[in-house]
Amino acid sequence: MVRFLPRRRVHVLAGAYALDALAASERDRFERHLPDCQSCSDEVRGFTATATALGLAAAAPPPPDLRQRVLAVVAALGSAQAGDAEIAAVLSAPDARTTSAGTSAGGTATVVASLAEGKVVFTSFGLRALSPAEVYELWFIGTGGARPAALLPSADPVLAAGLEAGDAIGVTVEPAGGSAAPTTTPIVVMAVAA
Amino acid sequence: MTEPSGVRDNPAERSRPPLDALLVQVAHGDQAAYESVYDQMAGPVYGLVRRVLRDAAQSEEVAQEVLLEVWRTASRFDPSRGGAATWVMTIAHRRAVDRVRSEAAAVERDSRYAAAYEPVAGDEVAEGVVASLEADRVRRCLDGLTTLQRESITLAYYSGYTYPQVAAALRVGLSAVKTRIRDGLTRLRDCLGVTW
Repeated sequence: MVRFLPRRRVHVLAGAYALDALAASERDRFERHLPDCQSCSDEVRGFTATATALGLAAAAPPPPDLRQRVLAVVAALGSAQAGDAEIAAVLSAPDARTTSAGTSAGGTATVVASLAEGKVVFTSFGLRALSPAEVYELWFIGTGGARPAALLPSADPVLAAGLEAGDAIGVTVEPAGGSAAPTTTPIVVMAVAA
Repeated sequence: MTEPSGVRDNPAERSRPPLDALLVQVAHGDQAAYESVYDQMAGPVYGLVRRVLRDAAQSEEVAQEVLLEVWRTASRFDPSRGGAATWVMTIAHRRAVDRVRSEAAAVERDSRYAAAYEPVAGDEVAEGVVASLEADRVRRCLDGLTTLQRESITLAYYSGYTYPQVAAALRVGLSAVKTRIRDGLTRLRDCLGVTW
């Protein structure tokens, strides 16, 4: 009977797994075990559907402006994806991750980052309009400081290459034409590496 | 239909057109289908994220991320692994929990654990829950659990605690928490009539 113990010990984690209550290392171990354990997979599926019922029961009205913002970002990313193969590749990269944050210039910034591609797609919604003498500039911020990533002349999605592990993404207001290094405090800084 | 249907009788799963079919259309670039997905799921996504994170501004950011990820990764939705609402809510819960834990890592451990010791009332689940038949049914089924089962599940799911944090908060052993969560979910699943 002793040889069944390890499996039962893993099996008992099905509930905690379905509630995302495992630490990362234990979750990885459980996920490696899942393909070999049909009863675990069945149990996880039922528990996950049960967790969904708990989640649906917590439904609450979202902030009214969220809809307009999300739909605008989806429309912008959708048309950029249709017109630009490089942008499409980042958006569909298996390791890509979307991050959104409010900015001190109003509105929100959204970045889809893929470390495997070494690229990000950046788009914004509702940022304060700048004078013709200024431009928003995107930066990769690593341990060695900020590296210029792209100029953001409009809210349209922009592709930037040169993303490295551990980088954050930042945006500053710079003189028209951009700067080699940030000259103002970022309006937003986002950690993007998953 | 023999495919898994997620949660039976919940509005998101039975509304027309079904979320599963809408996600397939979204994966093919249909913006109107995405609007329908948004209208069905923004409330559940925001409500759950808000429940876990509490902070309104952070919840709005994470809800936006989740709803954008649903659009971007719609082609990865696999109906054979569960219903569409389950797929969306799983993304939402993981993102909310990720945010809680990265915030927790950034603040002092002590205050995190101090917060974990706050007693959680059994009726805490009612807070912020939209009055609906579905929410009533979930609450009734939660009431049918033992106190330890209910507290373990609500701390893990609605507060984003890991099970060791749940154990610390409830001052019980790790294996007791794992068992209570699993037994409690089994009872909840049967009470709710969840199919999968």
